[in-house]
Amino acid sequence: MIPITLTVNGRRVEATVEPRTHLADFLREQQRLTGTHLGCEQGVCGACTILLDGVPARACLAFAVACDGAEIRTVEGFDGDPLMARLREAFSAEHALQCGFCTPGMLISAYDLIRRLPEADEARIRRELSGNLCRCTGYVGIVAAVQRVLAEVPKAATAPSPAAEASPSARADTPLWGKIKTALGAKPKA
Amino acid sequence: MQAHGKPGTGIGARLRRKEDARFLAGKGNYVSDIAMPGLMDVAFLRSPVAHARIRAVTAPAGAEDRVFRAEDLGGVKPMQAQSGIPGYRASDYPILATGKVRFVGEALAMCLGRNRAEAEDLAGEVTLDLEELPPVVDMLAARRAGAPLVHEHWGDNLFLTTAVDGRIDEVARTAPVVVKREYRMARQCMSPLEGKGVLAYWDDRHGQLVVVTSTQVPHIIRTGLAECLGLEQRLIRVIAPDVGGGFGYKCVLQPEEVAVAWLAMKRRHPVRWIEDRREHLTAGANARQHHYLVTAYADRRGKLLGLDAEVSVDVGAYSVWPFTACLEAAQAGGNLPGPYVVPAYRCKTYSIATNKPPFCPYRGVARPGVCFAIELTIDAIARAVGREPAEVRAENLVPASAMPYNNITNKHYDSGDYPKSLRMAMEAIDFAGIRARQRRGEADGRRIGIGFSTYTEQSAHGTKVFASWGIPIVPGYEQATVRLTPDGGLEIRVGTQSIGQGLETTLAQVASEILTIDPARINVVHGDTALTPYSTGAYASRSMVMAGGAVSRSSTVLAGRIARIGAHLMQCRTEEVRLAEGRVFGPAGDVSLEEIAKVWYLRPDQLPEDVDLGGLEATVGYRPKVDTGAFSYATHAAVVAVDPETGVTQILDYVIVEDCGTLVNPMIVEGQAFGGAAQGIGTALYEESSYDEAGQPLASTLIDYLLPGTTEVPAMRMQHIETPSPYTEHGIKGVGEGGAIAPPAAIVNAINDALAPLGAELGETPATPRRVLAAILAASERQAAE
Ligand code: FES
Ligand code: FES
Repeated sequence: MIPITLTVNGRRVEATVEPRTHLADFLREQQRLTGTHLGCEQGVCGACTILLDGVPARACLAFAVACDGAEIRTVEGFDGDPLMARLREAFSAEHALQCGFCTPGMLISAYDLIRRLPEADEARIRRELSGNLCRCTGYVGIVAAVQRVLAEVPKAATAPSPAAEASPSARADTPLWGKIKTALGAKPKA
Repeated sequence: MQAHGKPGTGIGARLRRKEDARFLAGKGNYVSDIAMPGLMDVAFLRSPVAHARIRAVTAPAGAEDRVFRAEDLGGVKPMQAQSGIPGYRASDYPILATGKVRFVGEALAMCLGRNRAEAEDLAGEVTLDLEELPPVVDMLAARRAGAPLVHEHWGDNLFLTTAVDGRIDEVARTAPVVVKREYRMARQCMSPLEGKGVLAYWDDRHGQLVVVTSTQVPHIIRTGLAECLGLEQRLIRVIAPDVGGGFGYKCVLQPEEVAVAWLAMKRRHPVRWIEDRREHLTAGANARQHHYLVTAYADRRGKLLGLDAEVSVDVGAYSVWPFTACLEAAQAGGNLPGPYVVPAYRCKTYSIATNKPPFCPYRGVARPGVCFAIELTIDAIARAVGREPAEVRAENLVPASAMPYNNITNKHYDSGDYPKSLRMAMEAIDFAGIRARQRRGEADGRRIGIGFSTYTEQSAHGTKVFASWGIPIVPGYEQATVRLTPDGGLEIRVGTQSIGQGLETTLAQVASEILTIDPARINVVHGDTALTPYSTGAYASRSMVMAGGAVSRSSTVLAGRIARIGAHLMQCRTEEVRLAEGRVFGPAGDVSLEEIAKVWYLRPDQLPEDVDLGGLEATVGYRPKVDTGAFSYATHAAVVAVDPETGVTQILDYVIVEDCGTLVNPMIVEGQAFGGAAQGIGTALYEESSYDEAGQPLASTLIDYLLPGTTEVPAMRMQHIETPSPYTEHGIKGVGEGGAIAPPAAIVNAINDALAPLGAELGETPATPRRVLAAILAASERQAAE
């Protein structure tokens, strides 16, 4: 057993883990954060997608020991986040979920996509979400939900910017993202 | 496109789903999310070979009490699905392999650990002594004399052979056009994103074995567990929590369910098994594999005169319980004529045992196969007579004027306008525009093709239909309980199961339609044999028709009782009151449901002596007016671009025109159709559980077994026709399976349309680049030889 310290949803966590325990099992079994789902444990389906230091990652492919010092954000860690609130609303309005099993991973990938690529068109959205499988919806509602959120962000916030394709480390808070956040703070359009 | 939907919160409203909030918060509760003190995991040691005699399974020294083999499961009976069909051979499907292993992935031993990793460690230490036997992998080879035998005492590999022996010889002699084709559909794995999971424990307080399982059919599972474990059913409680997709995979009793339940009783602590993806892709590769030989007879205009077919289904090693190894073939034989007028029909079916996992009824059950066979045949006939396939299709469809129509296999098509769905699809996909584009050609050298596929989906078939398939559990009538709570909310209890299809919302809409209660104040309770009326569960597109009908009937009874109490409180006659907006209105005033509930529960002294003591709770049963089901139907249209250099197919456009009767929630109907179509696209182009000659599965990860993603599934469009069924409550027809039926046929028809100028034709799924190229190559070799 190996001691690790990491931040999970803003909370400092100290734990001991077996070297072979992957991050998803650690989150689900040891932290009881069961919103991170396991659909394949082979890195393909995307159901286990979480943010690892602000970047989407497969929790089934990361070893918990390797996440010592890391900052983890799971689907349970978005309370009060205006963009995630907007996405959840759009997912429901567009019927972007049925059984709900792919949903947490899908939300996190969509969240990241909207922050990085506020100008993404349908083809780009599809390309960006191609690492998340859904067996229920046929993706129609999922793509529509992302488009709806992108359309809701006022033009000013989505003005072209070199930061739009920022490197992962710069993703957390680009000036553009700042603008979007401000925009999202505003009342949603009816 | 204008979103389709009625105002309000009742039937027809495009209401957002009540279940969404918990899933969006990551608070869904699937089997694997449940924690309990003392919970241990099991891993199954599975057969590494397809066919072998078991000499010994030996636990490592010191771990004998944590490894369980067939001989350790004293008193546990194998699953045996008997069929009423004469000549059917039942197989004993052992909970853990007994005597022989018959497919790769068959469970040989159950290993217990503090967590899954430890259980797998232990499984890795168990030694197997297996005497390998030659396997039988190909279903056609399995039919030949001298093939290895899956069940030796049968003498051959046939679960069942059936024949529909219509008179076809006369037609065969005289028909001017004869088209012969061979079709194959690959074996598939249903792949719900949540695999199977089961957790069991003994509940001392209730003296019950509690089995929490990811299932579509909790009440059936209880019956099956009782049979295998030799327990009375009152001693078993089956709970289905949130289910991460089912599609048929979770509508049968699985050996692991029985094994884990047995272990919980033996050990008296909670145990669970959570299927992983590799287990699912190997031991769960159990669907779709059909083979067809079709001879179609037509006149010179392409009008069908007769159909002669031989259908083989690769059923695998055992029969699942309860749906038997012959449901698929029985359905195939009965459904092959599809939505067409077929004057003469003959069909033989073979349900064949092979060394593969036991076949399960996957979304659409047999109909994706028969739809593929008949729809490709229609296009082949059109090419043979030199006419437009869409026209030949339209002329062969059962016309609206013939409705209701009894077809050649005695299917009673209840209502609708099949040709209209085709016309609408042609228009929506711009048929004329695509034909013009084809004439112009593509700059990139790809070839454009357009394909159609029309089908009927018999939904919510009743007792007689199921009884004719001989299965041991025949679904019958459905009940629902509705209860007004003391504060005027509503609880609905149903025995069927929501597995993602949104019943928590749509059943609330049905109740809201009658009781005018806001769905936000309605709870739908399901998924627990202790809390709900009996139901055979969610399959065969039956829940909305059957449970919806039962909710409607029980709500109507409750509305009557509410009206009487309301009338009494307003001192008027019951005939004078009506329900609206959650209130009872009389000639001079109104009273809310909350007030009525309060009086019944808390101030019954204010009620008259002769009040109905049934109170504000009612359980009422329902069955449709006919047993033959409500027939939904649709036309799917696909436009594809095929690259003749690489064989790669891209779907450029996809349109669905569907009639599922009265739409309860158009948004959910569209979700079912799109989701089903995405699975059908997987069938058409990507998904294949292939095997080598030794019976080894070659697709055991999602890298080998390709599930369609956002870049494979195109933006789809949908239009509705709404012809209420004359036979069901509110005219509802089932819709859950339909989306998956048509895509293989529509897409491969489109590919064949694209390749027609090259003389190439495909008759197999998935239409992989390799198969497309092979078809092109075969055509050019044929032409060179001519
Ligand atoms: S569970 Fe991690 S990618 Fe599928
Ligand atoms: S909603 Fe079921 S897998 Fe996406």
